[in-house]
Amino acid sequence: MKPEIVEEIKHKYGDRANDSPFERNLYTRDLAPVPALMVDPLFKTMPDLVVRPANEEEVAEILRIAWKENIPVTPRAGASTTYFDSIPVKGGIVMDLNLLRGVVGLNEERMTVTVQAGTTWSELDDYLKRRGLTEKSYPSSAPVATIGGWFCMMGYGIGSLKYGSLLSQVKSAQVVLATGDTIAVTPDTDPPLSWFAGSEGTLGIVTWLELEVRKLNPMKHFLLKMDSVPEMAQVLKEVKDAPVIPYNLHFTDPACVQGMHALGLIPDEVGEGCLLQVDYEGAEQELDQAEDIIRRIVDQHPKVKMMPGEMADLEWEERFKALRLKRGGPSVLGGEVWLPIKEVSGYLADIAAMSSKYGIRFMSYGHVVTPEYVTVMTMFYANEVNTINYMFSLGLTKKIQDVGFRYGGHPYGIGLWNSPYITRIYSRKELAELRERKKRLDPRGILNPGKVYRYPLLFHPFTFGIGANVMAGLIRAAGRGGRR
Amino acid sequence: MSTQHENKFTTLEQEALICARCGYCRNCCPVYRVIGWESASPRGKITVAKDLYVKGNKNALSDEFIQRVTQCTLCGACNVVCSTSIDLRELWIELRRRIAEGGKNPKGLQDIRKNILDNKNITTFDNQDRLEWAQDLDDPDVAEPRDGAEVAYFVGCVSSFFPQAAQIPLANAEIFGAAGVDFTTMGGDEWCCGFPLIISGYPDDAREFRRHNVEKIKEMGISTLVASCASCYHIWKYESREQLAGYDLEVLHTTEYLARLIEENRIQLNELDEVITYHDPCDLGRNGGIFDAPRKIINSIPGVRFVELAHHGMDSLCCGGGGNLQSVDPQLAKEITKLRVEEIKETGATIVVSSCQQCEQMLSAAIRETGLPVRVMDISQLILEAME
Repeated sequence: MKPEIVEEIKHKYGDRANDSPFERNLYTRDLAPVPALMVDPLFKTMPDLVVRPANEEEVAEILRIAWKENIPVTPRAGASTTYFDSIPVKGGIVMDLNLLRGVVGLNEERMTVTVQAGTTWSELDDYLKRRGLTEKSYPSSAPVATIGGWFCMMGYGIGSLKYGSLLSQVKSAQVVLATGDTIAVTPDTDPPLSWFAGSEGTLGIVTWLELEVRKLNPMKHFLLKMDSVPEMAQVLKEVKDAPVIPYNLHFTDPACVQGMHALGLIPDEVGEGCLLQVDYEGAEQELDQAEDIIRRIVDQHPKVKMMPGEMADLEWEERFKALRLKRGGPSVLGGEVWLPIKEVSGYLADIAAMSSKYGIRFMSYGHVVTPEYVTVMTMFYANEVNTINYMFSLGLTKKIQDVGFRYGGHPYGIGLWNSPYITRIYSRKELAELRERKKRLDPRGILNPGKVYRYPLLFHPFTFGIGANVMAGLIRAAGRGGRR
Repeated sequence: MSTQHENKFTTLEQEALICARCGYCRNCCPVYRVIGWESASPRGKITVAKDLYVKGNKNALSDEFIQRVTQCTLCGACNVVCSTSIDLRELWIELRRRIAEGGKNPKGLQDIRKNILDNKNITTFDNQDRLEWAQDLDDPDVAEPRDGAEVAYFVGCVSSFFPQAAQIPLANAEIFGAAGVDFTTMGGDEWCCGFPLIISGYPDDAREFRRHNVEKIKEMGISTLVASCASCYHIWKYESREQLAGYDLEVLHTTEYLARLIEENRIQLNELDEVITYHDPCDLGRNGGIFDAPRKIINSIPGVRFVELAHHGMDSLCCGGGGNLQSVDPQLAKEITKLRVEEIKETGATIVVSSCQQCEQMLSAAIRETGLPVRVMDISQLILEAME
């Protein structure tokens, strides 16, 4: 990036533009602790400048400069993913969108809220709850994930089973394109809203969205315990297919339950096995019906145990704290898989077999996000202090994705690190269509380059596969890949 | 499924590794909310601490990083949301200790230490003048140190030496008198509780101050100690266990003791036609666990309509005055106070009550500046007003 352009933006934005190495260095990371050895030779993750626009006009102005000068721009808000979705790989400008914050308007007749893209889901929830309303769905990282951020990812999480994807709840949005032009998008415009959902900030920068809200209803929570994965999968299916749709439905596999025991995160009385959390929201009558359903299912499965209500309530309260397991690490590696529900049992059986093969405890939990699909997070402990061992352990993340692929799954989210799997995620036709969109809206490729559409040369699925397999093999041979 | 658990702190190195960089700590952090840069977020600071202490990158101990470490009110809001249960407040204090140990502490924090070591209090005043405030009592001698009293009132440095805070010990002394409480103070033998030393990175110095105060209390044969300063209370309740081992001392904050006096009908409260909100001091509420007593007191006053602030209880927003921030970045402290004043404004309250001199000082100054028609009162002042 030309020094004079850096100076021009710094001059315009004052203390909201920063090119100090100290500050920029912190924008080279998200949740994933990938060793510098693996990143630095391949990618320029250090931005030349970080700028924090305070409104849509400023977003547009910065993009106009970038467009004119061909400068890569990486949008960033919560930066709460693990795939480098919001980390630059070609330097340039990081646009920190956290100042685009707050509710623009609430339309109680239409039951929609218009909210700036950098508002976190928890902030929106605070606002809505004070008015007896709430969101239809939200991510399991709501305290940090932003409205715009989740929209630009896949947008499936808590509440999606009952209310659908975030895309289905968004009525309209405002997007600043790579050229700096601002457009209003709806499901019926050209380009339509759907193009931007899951686009990971590669087509435009969303500045506000109008999304559906719902009445804040009472809830009921149930925690069921089963001895085996097949029984858990069967009960999960029965709960999902029952006449009352759960608001949230998530499971914890036996290895994950063990891991939580080891950390004292789970009462002894839970013992070993799987857990299934079922949360309902709705009118009292609906909740009573839901309780009858759960009790009937439990009665039909003599080995299924209903845990005390306070445990179920606590599990709900701690729904944003899946990372509490990291205390057993210190590092955690893993993969999130978009998986057909009917394959959960097979997937978890293969993951358990992998645990035996590598001598590593792979722990899984999953959220049912549609009537057909679940997102499963499978994790294992590692120790990033031991760099070589840690790097080899990264090979195991591909093994997790391979198991998912065998069962019709694929990675959830792409960013940089999942780019070798794009041909698993999209068909050739879909990929061609996506590339056409990119070509049309950002022909110079300045928005979040290096993500979504193509894998870097060294990440060619063939070479990537060989590399990952060799690393995983070394871990197996060494008989250790972190802490068991 | 999980059990509710306390936050943990092992070592700085281990906790920095455990941090998941999830960023839950960002939006609840008042410093990040004002500054807005990643380096000002708890997540950002831990990332640099990890580079420094785990990866051994000595260059990471830059002036910018030291500045960020001291730009923290130690309010503990990050503790509540931490997804990996790190006791972040402990982590910040440990970071400050290491910076101080390396001789790199900012001048503001070094000056605090010097004052305390030289004068036994946070000011430059002679510690023997601790009972100056009592001159405004009908009988100033009532506050003089005395062995075997029912209650020892630990006044704290701010109330003892800052004229604008002197109304707090005066109110407490008057309430104690009206309720027939046999109370005393430590007078010039009261030393700083050591809290400002701990949070400036000098825990060893602080230990000596705790030892002195505990010895004195033991000598006086005191069985109940009441503190009106949230930080002093925190030290007596949680940090002095080692020094108090084997000695049975009941430690109460004034909110707890005054609530008890009201419950025992030793204080009569008259009607007040006011809308009142309560600001939870971080060291008393989130970091001390006292939420109910002040609310009980306010709600026991006839005629009062109590309204909560948007952020209250465990989620309370700091006033900006914690963590010695005023000594290193007073402008930042002021900006944080403004966030809280906005919330006070939204409640429509006529009085904002708190139970920490520092909070009251910060809020008073900011409210004065905005011209908001709201009175800032300590809980003791509110009670006294209701008694009159």
